[in-house]
Amino acid sequence: MTADSLDPVIHAPTRLRIVATLAALPEADSLSFTRLQDVLELTPGNLITHLRKLEDAGYLVTETTGNGRASRTSITLTSQGRAALAAYAGALRELLGSA
Amino acid sequence: MRATHENDRATTDEHGDELDPREAARLLARTEREARRAFSSSPQWINALMGAVILVAYGSLWLSTRGQHPYRGPSLGVVALVYTAVAVAFAASVRVYRRATAGVSGPSTGRQRVEGVAILVSFVLGSPVLQGALRHDGASDAIVYGMIPAAAPLIIVGTTALGIAAGKADWPLFGAALAVVTGGVVAAFVGPSGAWLAAGISLFIALVGYAAADALQHRSVPLRA
Repeated sequence: MTADSLDPVIHAPTRLRIVATLAALPEADSLSFTRLQDVLELTPGNLITHLRKLEDAGYLVTETTGNGRASRTSITLTSQGRAALAAYAGALRELLGSA
Repeated sequence: MRATHENDRATTDEHGDELDPREAARLLARTEREARRAFSSSPQWINALMGAVILVAYGSLWLSTRGQHPYRGPSLGVVALVYTAVAVAFAASVRVYRRATAGVSGPSTGRQRVEGVAILVSFVLGSPVLQGALRHDGASDAIVYGMIPAAAPLIIVGTTALGIAAGKADWPLFGAALAVVTGGVVAAFVGPSGAWLAAGISLFIALVGYAAADALQHRSVPLRA
């Protein structure tokens, strides 16, 4: 097994941190955009870029409620995203075990 | 500067293979640890702190009532100390809970609120109801103001917590709740003054043991890195 076998959507520092952070919440729970940004210490633009990639892969869903200043975006890791992280961790374990 | 750094990192992120697997394993373990800490509504340090506060408070009640024949109850100063300690511990817990759950929504938050209400109701109602009924039936001060307030909350709240822990398959919490119930049962049989000491020791063991079990359960050993 080589590093190429690792899921490229997750195998990037910021996206790995996003997925691992969301996976620490109980299943089906959501986290607000601002809290995620605060926990990861990222700029809004950078976070949005990576969230979009993860959402395109079906690993998370974002939902915005309200309008203007009162709007709130929440992010939920999907079961597919949770499974992808578990598979990624398993692949890493295998890779490091055989190294 | 920070934005530039972020942009650089975003660009590097586009080429995922630039992340060494060993480095990825370390990053994953560190992120999991930090996220658990950020979202934990009952972190190990607060459980250990509450255990110590309760031991001191209940120990003071025991010292204040030791050797009383007949039992007259703790002095007002000690009662004030205990209420202050409980209020401080409660305020600290609320603050930690609010910080941990800020921005979090979903099924688990509703469940936690219901669990909190169940614990609060069993704590607020359980002991006073028994005390009132026993006072009404002419029970002694040793039972109404000694044994019952020390033992009953532990048995009632501990049993509620046992049910919650079993429902969630949270075995560290189950063990802690079992220690609390056992402490309550022991407290019911060691006299009004000894009841405070038994209750304090069992709560201390339960809280510190829970903190230790939680730390062991979440030891960072998922990957070799």
